[in-house]
Amino acid sequence: MTFSSLLKGMWKVISLYWKDLLGSGIAFTLLLALIAVIGGVIIGTLFAVGRMSKLKVLRGLIVAIVEVVRGTPALLQLYVGYFFVPAFFPAMNSLDPTLMAFICVAVALTINSGAYVSEIIRSGIEAVDKGQTEAARSLGLSGKDAMLDIVLPQAVKNILPALGNEFITIIKETSLASTFFVGELMTKYKNIVGVTYDSVSTLMVVGIIYFILDFALSKGMKTLERSMKAHA
Amino acid sequence: MLEIKNLYKNFGSLKVLKGVSTSIEKGEVVSIIGASGSGKSTMLRCMNLLETPTFGEVWMEGKLLTPVDPYLHPEVIKASNTFKALTAQGMDENAAIAKIKAEDLLQEKHNKEGKEYKALMDKIYKENFIDIDHARRKMGMVFQQFNLFNNKTVLQNIMYAPVKTGIEELKKAKNYNKETKAKLIADSKERAEALLKRIGLADKANVYPSTLSGGQKQRIAIVRALAMNPDVMLFDEPTSALDPEMIGEVLDVMKELAKEGMTMVIVTHEMGFAREVSDRVLFVDNGNIAEEGNPEEVFSKPKDAHLKDFLSKVL
Repeated sequence: MTFSSLLKGMWKVISLYWKDLLGSGIAFTLLLALIAVIGGVIIGTLFAVGRMSKLKVLRGLIVAIVEVVRGTPALLQLYVGYFFVPAFFPAMNSLDPTLMAFICVAVALTINSGAYVSEIIRSGIEAVDKGQTEAARSLGLSGKDAMLDIVLPQAVKNILPALGNEFITIIKETSLASTFFVGELMTKYKNIVGVTYDSVSTLMVVGIIYFILDFALSKGMKTLERSMKAHA
Repeated sequence: MLEIKNLYKNFGSLKVLKGVSTSIEKGEVVSIIGASGSGKSTMLRCMNLLETPTFGEVWMEGKLLTPVDPYLHPEVIKASNTFKALTAQGMDENAAIAKIKAEDLLQEKHNKEGKEYKALMDKIYKENFIDIDHARRKMGMVFQQFNLFNNKTVLQNIMYAPVKTGIEELKKAKNYNKETKAKLIADSKERAEALLKRIGLADKANVYPSTLSGGQKQRIAIVRALAMNPDVMLFDEPTSALDPEMIGEVLDVMKELAKEGMTMVIVTHEMGFAREVSDRVLFVDNGNIAEEGNPEEVFSKPKDAHLKDFLSKVL
């Protein structure tokens, strides 16, 4: 295959399938990533708070969940979500199969991202110098006040950039969801190739789209980081 | 004013303090000197419970900051089952107390020492304890690394604690409304500005700490503590992280404070300064106070061999 025939193939894929397939694929990919990251931030915050709790059982449980998520492949976790979520909520079986798969995958990705985000938040808090807390406590403020007014505002500066990276990672990981044909970008790749048999051109197009999404996001995060640094 | 009784502090298997006792009087300036790792900073940090002592008690203005240490209260020992068992064997009361103290025989876990013992411990605690956050409001602390709040401007650094604790007091007195809050903030601001003016940094009120020199940071850290109107100020090696040319400006602020009659406890390596401002100098060695006295005695006629050695190295 020559370079020009590759370009031609790519152009064909874009012009024929942009409207029906690729556009909605991008939308689904972004939606899935957004759900996973927002849900992940909520779960991750709860986990991070839980890990600072005095209850040993709670701390142990959270550490166990985080370690299991970090120590097993994401694809395996998606399979587990795909089979387990409907088992726990039988009502879901009456849903449209694609919607059901989407929900299952979204749940699994959210828990996956929650585990990583909880580590990001924890390390962000730990990276704030202990002296900051000590200074606040030495002035007679409670541990809660020191955390909310002094430590967390500083931790956010450590957390936000890492959270951006997590978002970027999750966008790439959504491609695993194509195993269950949930309609995101990689599913569309399979759909298109099923018709055209032109995997190379389609892969290139899809790859470029992923790259543009992540590159734009990473640039955006850099700008945000710089503006935060300029502030303090 | 501030008293530590038989303080022990272990970090794991490392024994840092080994039964330190001293009492700081009102208006007194006490310097704590000693080699690195001797336990002098730990001793200071135990005074406001930034480190929790393993054994022993800390008292501030007649109030107990730590849990009750049974070994410091003969009547508590007498109420214990261990004491009763020993005297039942025919041992003399004083001998039994001495033996229990020396061999650390009290077993507090699972109420092994009986109800009477527990009730007495609770009674002493309830009669004397003070909430640590409230106690700390009367003890200013200055750190080696300054520890200014990086996310707040200089003025906010100084105003933060007075406003926050002031609001808490107002709420407690059921006197919290828009006017009292506005007055509190205005008063705190006025005081913060006056303090900044006093150290000649009024023009830095609205900048962030990252733009300041070490000497400026430390002077601001001192007035931040002063903004709470403390009864005693604790200094943990306040000049050790400074460039040599900035040490003077910080020591000057401290000297002025001492002149005004502030009660101060200072952990320091600045021997000249300790000699000049202190009423009393403590030499800490290997987790104990090896020698104490007025600066003249300690610096000119040291008795302890380690102190002599230490002074010959630093002077």
